[in-house]
Amino acid sequence: MAHVVVENLSKIYERGKVRALWNVNFSVEKGEFLVLIGLSGSGKSTLLRCINRLVEPTSGRVFLNGLELTRLSPRAMRRVRRRIGMIFQQFNLVKRATVLQNVLAGRLGYTSTLPSLLGWFPKRDIQRAKECLERVGLLDKMYVRADQLSGGQQQRVGIARALMQEPELLLADEPVSALDPATSHSVMQYIEQINKEDGVTVIASLHFLSLARRYGQRILALRAGEVVFDGPPEAIDDRKFKEIYGEEAEEVEIR
Amino acid sequence: MKRFWAKIRAGVWAGAAALRRRATALWEAGRGFLRAYGWPPLRRAAEFLLAWLKALRIRVLPPLLDLVFLGYLWLATSIAVSFAATGRVAYTLLSWEWFVLVVGVTGALWSAWDQTLGLKVVRHRLSPASPGMRLLYALFWPLFPLTLVTALVDREGRSPAEWFTDLRLVEAGEARPRRWYRSPTGWLAVLGLGVSLAAAVAVTRVDLRAFVTRFEKTLKFWRAIFSPAWDQAGLGLKLLVETLFMAVVATAFAVPVAAALSFLAARNLMRGPLPRLLYTVLRVTGSFTRSIDAIIWAIIFAVWVGTGSFAGVLALFVHSVVDLMKLYAEQIEAIDPGPVEAITATGANRLQVLRYGVIPQIINPFISFTLYRWDINVRMATVVGLVGGGGIGFRLAWYLGAYAFSEATMLTLLIVLMVWSIDWLSARIREKLA
Repeated sequence: MAHVVVENLSKIYERGKVRALWNVNFSVEKGEFLVLIGLSGSGKSTLLRCINRLVEPTSGRVFLNGLELTRLSPRAMRRVRRRIGMIFQQFNLVKRATVLQNVLAGRLGYTSTLPSLLGWFPKRDIQRAKECLERVGLLDKMYVRADQLSGGQQQRVGIARALMQEPELLLADEPVSALDPATSHSVMQYIEQINKEDGVTVIASLHFLSLARRYGQRILALRAGEVVFDGPPEAIDDRKFKEIYGEEAEEVEIR
Repeated sequence: MKRFWAKIRAGVWAGAAALRRRATALWEAGRGFLRAYGWPPLRRAAEFLLAWLKALRIRVLPPLLDLVFLGYLWLATSIAVSFAATGRVAYTLLSWEWFVLVVGVTGALWSAWDQTLGLKVVRHRLSPASPGMRLLYALFWPLFPLTLVTALVDREGRSPAEWFTDLRLVEAGEARPRRWYRSPTGWLAVLGLGVSLAAAVAVTRVDLRAFVTRFEKTLKFWRAIFSPAWDQAGLGLKLLVETLFMAVVATAFAVPVAAALSFLAARNLMRGPLPRLLYTVLRVTGSFTRSIDAIIWAIIFAVWVGTGSFAGVLALFVHSVVDLMKLYAEQIEAIDPGPVEAITATGANRLQVLRYGVIPQIINPFISFTLYRWDINVRMATVVGLVGGGGIGFRLAWYLGAYAFSEATMLTLLIVLMVWSIDWLSARIREKLA
């Protein structure tokens, strides 16, 4: 059984009547690294957010391990979200909080409400947070405010926060779009490592096709909310490329 | 049916009359109380305050009422004219020439009766106009209808419907703009401004000679100002501390209430029909309550719980709650939604999202606003004291009423010192927080 299954997923934003997703179907195997590509506004972010229901789909179904997420109550959905890590284009860290607090926030779903409101986390969670920070090479920045870090470092904190959730699935919404090329590779390598070593399924949206080719095992291309390509990176030739990005587009290399 | 309406009307009149009777009774009771129990300086201060309030009513209310009335008149005329011209009910206001005309004609009528609507409401008659004023009226009122002529003349490329309503129906590019000093409209604008200014000076009775002619009468006052009564310093300091505590108590109690309400008054957190209703109710009552000045709240509470610092604290508290609620809520509305989304994605519940996604982003602005409000409250605490809210302001009003200017000067010095230092302190702290 496939790990994530998306069936006939559609999302129409009521305001402005924008058709963000239209009849999207695909499935992802356990441990796969799937890359979403497409122009800005093609529905990549919406698709990712429909999987963990940060955005409510208009119709269609999403399954995780055979469990239909689109039918869950908000409470049950929160329990499922604990196992779905997510990292963002703008990192979405709490800027005024320390790195450690940001990483610990990844544990909120597992912590009971009252202690967490008072800022108490179990000892083993704090230990875990240190391990996660060590893994992304930021243990020495533990007590630094998040806004003091560089972009690449902030995204690594984001990865550590996702790791705290012990995820089985990692959603990455343009994780390197706000970073320079060298830092982009460093961040992508951390994500790849999580995918290879921990066997975490990754669905990542990427801007650059070269990055998608380098890291993706499989590529799913969206255009105006519809799937226009689903297959291995090698299968994207010049003709396919133009179909995804439009006739005017030219491929840009990023190394 | 007729009898039904008559009944309703009778009810409304009776209600209004009862309200009026009650207000008069309250007023008389207050005066009677003062006459019976107040000792002379307090009585004098109170009489002074009452006279001041009455004068305020006469000076402030009529112009406000007149303005409101004129505004409505303008709006109604606008709608009527645009309906007549275009056949549509449009809310576009008429061009200013029309407003000047409306004001001019109304003003002329009012001056003929020597009564404006606002003055009628407060039942006050103006003193008879001086010959000079009459001349001014006679000269200027007929000028106002002239503005209409310019409205008729100035119609470059405009259809009749357009120049009646000032609606530009043609494309913006087609009409050639003219330099303002080349158009009759521009000249009339300057003339109108001049006339308004002259009228304003006449109405507010600006008389620069008074500075000189009445100076010797204030000599006693000036002398007192430069010889503060130093023996009042001890009492003044005690009252100062009381005033400071009024501000502290009012702020301290207002903060938790305002903070709790602000989450319910933040648009981005209140999604869905029922929360949105709550949001609207809070915002509307908030802005209504805020529009009533702290001084007025102090008067209300001075009557309700008796004069003294408690009334002052209540007034400051009420005003602080609604003011802070708005400031806090706007801060919440301005947060970065990213962290909220990220915390939600980890499977946190609503309270946890609030604690980890929202609060860290707002805590510093909240502290900053609280200090700012405390700063305002310290200043307001003296002012609400003037109208019966206790603290140093109350004593100050009393001295002023008793013509004890040396003592009043001492207190004023202390107030200035306190306000200045609090201002400096809170500015420094807020700087650090930013």
